[in-house]
Formats: sequence, structure tokens, C-alpha cells
Amino acid sequence: MSDDLENQLRAALRPVEPSAGFAARVMARVEAEQRRQARRRWRIPASLAASILLGLGLYLRVHQQRETAAGLEARRQVIEALHLTDEKLDLAYQTVKEASGS
Amino acid sequence: MDRDLAKARAGDEGAFAALVTGHQKSVFGLALRMLGSAHLAEDIAQEVFMQLHAKLASIESSEHLRFWLRRITAHRAIDELRRNSVLKFTSLEGEAQLIGAEDPGDPLLQTKLRSTLLRLSPHARAVVTLRYQDDLDPLEIARILDMPVNTVKSHLKRSLEIMRESLKDHAS
Repeated sequence: MSDDLENQLRAALRPVEPSAGFAARVMARVEAEQRRQARRRWRIPASLAASILLGLGLYLRVHQQRETAAGLEARRQVIEALHLTDEKLDLAYQTVKEASGS
Repeated sequence: MDRDLAKARAGDEGAFAALVTGHQKSVFGLALRMLGSAHLAEDIAQEVFMQLHAKLASIESSEHLRFWLRRITAHRAIDELRRNSVLKFTSLEGEAQLIGAEDPGDPLLQTKLRSTLLRLSPHARAVVTLRYQDDLDPLEIARILDMPVNTVKSHLKRSLEIMRESLKDHAS
């Protein structure tokens, strides 16, 4: 009885082939997974490169703004210096004019 | 098969496809008998082979490959059964397509045995399927399932008793 049951079980549980095209479906999933991993492999270097470019851009912009501010300050100082010179020249002219008139 | 394994390990996708074809019957059969669903068994079997593709470098021989495939398939099916409690008492989805005209024996009796298998605990299903589908001895089954050999023997004994009882009902 036990042997008979075991034989029946062997027949009932014999290995079964999956539906046709199983290996092709596995290979398609393997290829899709490889593509996904390749994209993931590039994601970190691409993010890193984008971050570096962004940082460089920000640095250049700040640097440019600082230079612009420094240029404006120099211009202001030149104008102020010219203004002072102008006032002093006026004063000197007035002094000379008064001296020659008296 | 060893040649296919060596070529697959070297990156030959055609050789890997040959490995899949060579082992698909055993892997799919084990998953199907444990889960009772052709759809789920196909999914588990595909995932097992995808995992194999990722782990090919660690597979040393054809014997190791067979051991590895059985181990991963059985454990994945057990996990699936634990996760999906509906499967514990599943009907035999796709059973009709699995009984071919060339099959020996009584088809109704075999359907009864397969239905009874699906009433067993996940570990008992794995033990019985590895014993009667793949003709493994209790020691090999114990290694595959990470359980003491006496536990394997007691699963077998208890499962055969349950099968015998179900056949009595079938005969009456």
C-alpha cells in the first residue's frame, strides 16, 4: 500500500514543463534588468556631474557679482575723488581771483 | 551542462538560456506543486532564474546548480505561501492543462493527491515535492530546506498518513 501510494505520488508530482517560450521570457526579464542596472550605474556619475556644473555656475555668478560690485565701488570712489578735486580747483580759482582783484 | 555553466559564467547569454531550458521543468514543477497556481509558479520560476543570472559567479558545478535552484525555489515558494494566506487552501488553478494524455495512472487519483498536497504546511509541501518529484533522499532534502533530517522524515511520515486518509475518502 505504501509503495503503491509512493508510486502514485511520483506520478502525480512528476516535473512539469512551463508554457512555451518560458526561457525567452526569462531572457527578456534578464535583459530588462540589465538595462535598468546600466541606467542606475550612470545615474550617480550623471548626478555628480550635474552638481559640479551647478556649483561651478553658482561660483562664477557670485564671482561676477562681486567683481561688478567692486567695479561700481571703484567708479563711485573715482567720481567722489573727481568731485573733491573739482571743489578744490573751484576754491583755488576763487582764491586766485580774489587776490588778483584786490 | 558543465560546459553551458562555464560559458554562461563567462557572459554567454545563449548558454544561460540553455541552462534555463535544462532546469525549467524541475524549477517550475517544484513551484507549481507547492503553490498550486501555474501563474504564480511561472512568476517564481522566472525570478529564481533572474537571481541565478545575478549569482552565476558563485555557482561552482552542475551539482551545485541543481542544489541551488531547488533551495531557492523551495524557499521562495515557502515565503510566498506565508505571505499569501489564500494560497494555503488554493484550488488547483490550471490543473486541467497539467494532465496530459500521456500521463500514466489514474488522473482523478493524481488530482486528489495534488489537492491533498496543497492542504499541507508549506514545509511539508516542499519535503513531499522534493521527495517524489525529484526523488531526493531525506538527507538531501534536509540540506536544501535547512532543517534536521528527522524533521524531514517526520514531515514525510505525517504527509503520507494524510495522503492515505484522503485516498480512503476518494475510494469510498
